[in-house]
Amino acid sequence: MSISLVLFSPPTQPPLLFPSSPSKPYLTLKPHLSLRPSKFLTTTKASAENGAGTSPSAATALEIQPDQKVAETPQQVVQKDESSVGANGSAGAVETEEDKVLSQFVDPKWVGGTWDLSQFRKDGNTDWDAVIDAEARRRKWLEGNPETSSNDAPIVFDTSIIPWWAWMKRFHLPEAELLNGRAAMIGFFMAYLVDSLTGVGLVDQMGNFFCKTLLFIAVVGVLLIRKNEDLENLKKLLDETTFYDKQWQATWQDEKPGSSKN
Amino acid sequence: MASIALKSFVGLRQQVSTEKPHYFFTSQSQTRPPRKLKLQVLASKSSPRLTNRNLRVAVIGGGPAGGAAAETLAKGGIETYLIERKMDNCKPCGGAIPLCMVGEFDLPLDIIDRRVTKMKMISPSNVAVDIGQTLKPHEYIGMVRREVLDAYLRERAKDNGAEVINGLFLKMDVPKDGVSPYVLHYNGFDGKVGGVGEKRTLEVDAVIGADGANSRVAKAIDAGDYDYAIAFQERIKIPDDKMAYYEDLAEMYVGDDVSPDFYGWVFPKCDHVAVGTGTVTHKGDIKKFQLATRKRAKDKILGGKIIRVEAHPIPEHPRPRRLLGRVALVGDAAGYVTKCSGEGIYFAAKSGRMCAEAIVEGSENGKRMVDERDLRKYLEKWDKTYWPTYKVLDVLQKVFYRSNPAREAFVEMCADEYVQKMTFDSYLYKTVAPGNPLQDLKLAVNTIGSLVRANALKKEMDKLSV
Repeated sequence: MSISLVLFSPPTQPPLLFPSSPSKPYLTLKPHLSLRPSKFLTTTKASAENGAGTSPSAATALEIQPDQKVAETPQQVVQKDESSVGANGSAGAVETEEDKVLSQFVDPKWVGGTWDLSQFRKDGNTDWDAVIDAEARRRKWLEGNPETSSNDAPIVFDTSIIPWWAWMKRFHLPEAELLNGRAAMIGFFMAYLVDSLTGVGLVDQMGNFFCKTLLFIAVVGVLLIRKNEDLENLKKLLDETTFYDKQWQATWQDEKPGSSKN
Repeated sequence: MASIALKSFVGLRQQVSTEKPHYFFTSQSQTRPPRKLKLQVLASKSSPRLTNRNLRVAVIGGGPAGGAAAETLAKGGIETYLIERKMDNCKPCGGAIPLCMVGEFDLPLDIIDRRVTKMKMISPSNVAVDIGQTLKPHEYIGMVRREVLDAYLRERAKDNGAEVINGLFLKMDVPKDGVSPYVLHYNGFDGKVGGVGEKRTLEVDAVIGADGANSRVAKAIDAGDYDYAIAFQERIKIPDDKMAYYEDLAEMYVGDDVSPDFYGWVFPKCDHVAVGTGTVTHKGDIKKFQLATRKRAKDKILGGKIIRVEAHPIPEHPRPRRLLGRVALVGDAAGYVTKCSGEGIYFAAKSGRMCAEAIVEGSENGKRMVDERDLRKYLEKWDKTYWPTYKVLDVLQKVFYRSNPAREAFVEMCADEYVQKMTFDSYLYKTVAPGNPLQDLKLAVNTIGSLVRANALKKEMDKLSV
């Protein structure tokens, strides 16, 4: 499988794609510079360095020696003097295997593009927490090492197979406990404060409209503002919702006041 | 799309308006010619009648917007000039047109290279969802070559009586009153390639700016700037067996690796595929995103050879000013590209046509002079007709292109048949159909569920790294 062909640019391509590698003594054909960093990409999956766009020349230098397999591409005219063609063949094959093994997410419980639930049994029931953990690990791995989407091994896992109560138990309940705790503390303290300042007891406070409004604000505040950054985020969110509308109506702003626009 | 820098672009407008006192602001301005008629809300009826000649309109730019505008103008009896700088311009473009465009613009079927009836959405964790099962047999997304489509529309405009000029528009002299002509300065090439061209001028009564994302007409009327995305695309010729897979299928890749605020795509063209991606906020990393897109599609484009690399800007929203005096902007020049899908061809052609129709109507088939109010009618009609579409796509982009969890939820939702049906209906026919309320509710619940699950998983993922 000549992986390199896809990542190869035709000779007429100006080497502006990878300006970080100006002159390499090993390379005898300048336009093929663009191939260097892309080979870097395929050979260093293990080190999970995917910054191919800005490949550091120092690191590429390390790869040059074992990287002579570039000669296997028919478009490459030179590189014959670099190393023996025999070594290329085997080295190329090795790299392919390595490549395939390293680039895919492999896990014994990941079968056929989805999690094999029968392997997640615990005490006769499926351990949904473990499924959630496994999926989180898979996504984390893919975020760091994006791999190709393949038609032969399609991924068909759908998070909705995990029942709603498993999600709730794991994520909603702890957060709910936290927020309820905050609300209770605020509520108790505010009730005490208002009582000490105005003498109005808890039951009478509940009947007062102003107090009810304060209660509403307190509840909304606890729900919406959970972290320090949330205040800024909420303001930005509000701006966002109306920004596009403003952009569209800009052209109507120098319109005479007679004709109106929505 | 972690945090969008919301520049105060409105400030742009105020700045602009204080610079030049525009004559049309006050109807009582002395610079207006003495229109012996009273100030009425009716527009064209108060304009002076033209003697000995028809209205002259120039359309700058010969793409879909310009071609459609010129055709409608010429059909309406107006003396039309279409100025295009490169007649065989092979534009970098996805090239997807909705089904309704074929009918509305009477496009011959041989213009369409491919009919895409299946789409694959691929999430950041490579969950692939096929959409298109709900399409009826006669429905498809047409893939065209821009040079073929643009040339066809221009030819048709010429056949209807428009004069097509091969030239590069340089600048225009704005008249001081409502009847003097606009003087356009352009370099006439006369089909000669490589030359500088000779400087020529053209006097017209109204101008339609259809000259694309870097519009000079827009600059001439101080239309203001817009945020734009960079779309980067490589055309790759892949082996026939791999090409068979893309026979009628297009792919969309979403993920932070592919683009932080847009998507990567593999679109089939006549005999090769176009692999590309785009971004607004991280334009400097576009090459990195392109590599990531190629990597994600690697299995399917293996053995391919890159035959062309191209990039172009895509406007993200309309310019602050789309109209000044008797000059109107249409298409990409106005910024009529939708969010979320980045679709622009149909809206360019439709806006060109709508603007031309407004001019034809306002001038009573070329017998009267037009003024700004006639052209404003086009803006009114446009905003009223397509605002819901744009807004819905904007909301979709804001919700689903935000982050990887949102994109995972997006792809999960696409598996739902109701979603597919609604999506294709609104895309192919350009109407925001209301749909079944019960199913809408179910959809809303499912969407929230997907988003919650994906975000919960993201929290787990963050815990893993720490």
